[in-house]
Amino acid sequence: MASAHDAERMGATPHWEPEDVIGKMTLSALLFSHDYRHIAIKGMLTSVVMLGLGGLMAILFRTELAYPDIQILDARPYMSLMTLHGMFMVFGFIIPFVVSIMYYMMPKILGTDELLWARGAQWSYWLLILAAVLLVISRPDFTWTFYPPMSLRVGGNLVWMGYLAVFLVALSEFIAGAVLLKNGLAAAKRKGYSKLPLMGWGAISEGLLLLLSTPILGLVGIVMLTDWLEVTALFDPARGGNVMTFMFMFWFYGHPAVYLPLMPAVAILYTLLPRFLGRPIWSYWSAVSAFALLTVLGFIVYPHHFQPAENVSGWLQRSVQILTLLIFVPSTLHVFNWIATLWAGKIPDSARRAVPFKFMIASIFFLMYGGVTAYVNAQIATDSDFVHNTYFVPAHFHAMFVGFMANMAMAGIYYLYPYFTARMYSQKLGDTHFWFWQIGIFTKVTMMYLLGFNYFPRWVVDYLDLPQWSIPQLILTGAAYLIGLGFILFVYNIMRSSTRGAVVSGDPWAIEGGEDTGSAEPVPAE
Amino acid sequence: MENALGLAGYQSTMIIIVFVVLGFGIAALFAALFLPTRWRLPYSMEFLFVGLLLVMVWYGDKQSAAIYEAYQAPLEEEGVLDVGYDPSEGEFDRSIRVLAFQWGFAFVDEEDAISRNAAVVQPGEKVLFSLFANDVIHGFNIPAAGITAEFEPGAERNVWIRAPQEPGKYLIQCLNYCGVGHSQMKAWLVVQGDEENDEGEA
Repeated sequence: MASAHDAERMGATPHWEPEDVIGKMTLSALLFSHDYRHIAIKGMLTSVVMLGLGGLMAILFRTELAYPDIQILDARPYMSLMTLHGMFMVFGFIIPFVVSIMYYMMPKILGTDELLWARGAQWSYWLLILAAVLLVISRPDFTWTFYPPMSLRVGGNLVWMGYLAVFLVALSEFIAGAVLLKNGLAAAKRKGYSKLPLMGWGAISEGLLLLLSTPILGLVGIVMLTDWLEVTALFDPARGGNVMTFMFMFWFYGHPAVYLPLMPAVAILYTLLPRFLGRPIWSYWSAVSAFALLTVLGFIVYPHHFQPAENVSGWLQRSVQILTLLIFVPSTLHVFNWIATLWAGKIPDSARRAVPFKFMIASIFFLMYGGVTAYVNAQIATDSDFVHNTYFVPAHFHAMFVGFMANMAMAGIYYLYPYFTARMYSQKLGDTHFWFWQIGIFTKVTMMYLLGFNYFPRWVVDYLDLPQWSIPQLILTGAAYLIGLGFILFVYNIMRSSTRGAVVSGDPWAIEGGEDTGSAEPVPAE
Repeated sequence: MENALGLAGYQSTMIIIVFVVLGFGIAALFAALFLPTRWRLPYSMEFLFVGLLLVMVWYGDKQSAAIYEAYQAPLEEEGVLDVGYDPSEGEFDRSIRVLAFQWGFAFVDEEDAISRNAAVVQPGEKVLFSLFANDVIHGFNIPAAGITAEFEPGAERNVWIRAPQEPGKYLIQCLNYCGVGHSQMKAWLVVQGDEENDEGEA
């Protein structure tokens, strides 16, 4: 049911032709150009490299975890790999990837063919690279949440670089947030808030999340550094500090942080779905309210990450529980909207065939699969039984990060591929990648849930040889290999198809078999 | 599983709700994809659905709070959380102080006897654990009793369990990353049988 504004929100700009951006670009253009296409391609390619590195680390430690006892990795290298895996995947792969897709799409929404404050996006990118290099050199082994005082007492002499990297990540994300908010607001100003495409609402939410949460992370990074240098002792109880200060500060960033990749992924879904179906989203305002609600709730539910704790009890604990449960509402508004859009009319054969569409459907599935268990996670009674710090938590966030966001990132890259290269990816390889990933991710997440339910502790290199632990672990490792194999196919596909794929001209995603849908622009407004 | 939180009923209800909602969502997604019938949902459907969700939220919050408050009640009534609590006067059958350190647990019983890796209890006893650490944040989890706690250095944390009825050795583990030895930070809850007298050395 389209509202009166939908025709306008769908846009009427002329069709955007596929072009061979990658083939025509020089290395210096790729590295330093402020053209939004170059910035976006650079961000996406780097993210794929980060995904490869983070995935390789996962493959290594999953090999170690396949059987009980220690075989190939000792505790320290294992924890370094685990820490870097988390940091690379979240800060290096998933957030920059979906943000880069936003960098690419916002100028289309704006109609400027130029990303506002592109210089900021450039700085954000290079600061992140610097942070990644520092992280690799310092090889921290204190997990991505680096809880003090543990994190102040582990690691080598170079661990200060890790804290510096945390600060740089915060700075980089802050700048990215400013760029996205600027572009989102400019688009809103140009088109009016009631006609702003949902990608624009995504950019505004994402910008707000980044701008408000990252300063605290930057502060945490600096204080960790000064605490480590023994200049201050804010977080170290042995010297008069308080761990809870860290908890409240870190998770004030930490919870919005998990929405940082979510918002753009949702916005990409809202952009691609109408494009493939040839009809507007079922309800525009439901999507906008869901974005707004999720942004607000994202900032106030963070104590659920460290409760039940001595300081989070009584009414605070209760209200956090209620607010956390309420996140169901905006996330379900999104999912409901997507399913209603799918149901509202015929699904064209061209969409059913398209690899990005398939990845999108899988994303919706995994958002539900990861999302429903939040019902158990949020409740304090189950939380203090089998949820808190068992594999139940990684199961939840891998379903979200990999199942939803990484699948959406893949949908985005397959969708944009013809626009970047003027060629089509190989359908067969794309399909194989799709099935390898979906089977792999589903198996992996399910095994993690099962392990969590059996109280398998997080962050362990070695575990007891109990059947309810060792069998799922072995299957989990197999699933990781399958996902790795899918990734190799994906890389081979995009490399090979960039020179040998079928040449595309006109609309690569033209809708087949439907009536004339009017809009063939690359980024339809919804 | 005899459960300290009395969760058996509540827990399975919650998991059934999760599966029902998931099944409903997947059914809707597959219907939208593969059923020949096309359906333009009226907007009122969404309000109805949000209403259902709010009921779910209300129910989950109510159940969880009731269970958790019932669990906390003995601690509060006994004054365990107050300063100067004397465990020998309480209604708990046994009170064990637990010092968590990098990387292990030390269990100190009421006679000040220390065990490095075993908390020895009798079947079905109500056992109070006073958790304490002075190095880093640790976790304390007894799967068989269904309880997990995280405690920061310097602060005492009290949890209680109903010991399993079946004599035997039950796992106690740290659930919070506390340094490279984290995966080795395990101990045993030894439930003594009537006939055999297990020393509990793992």
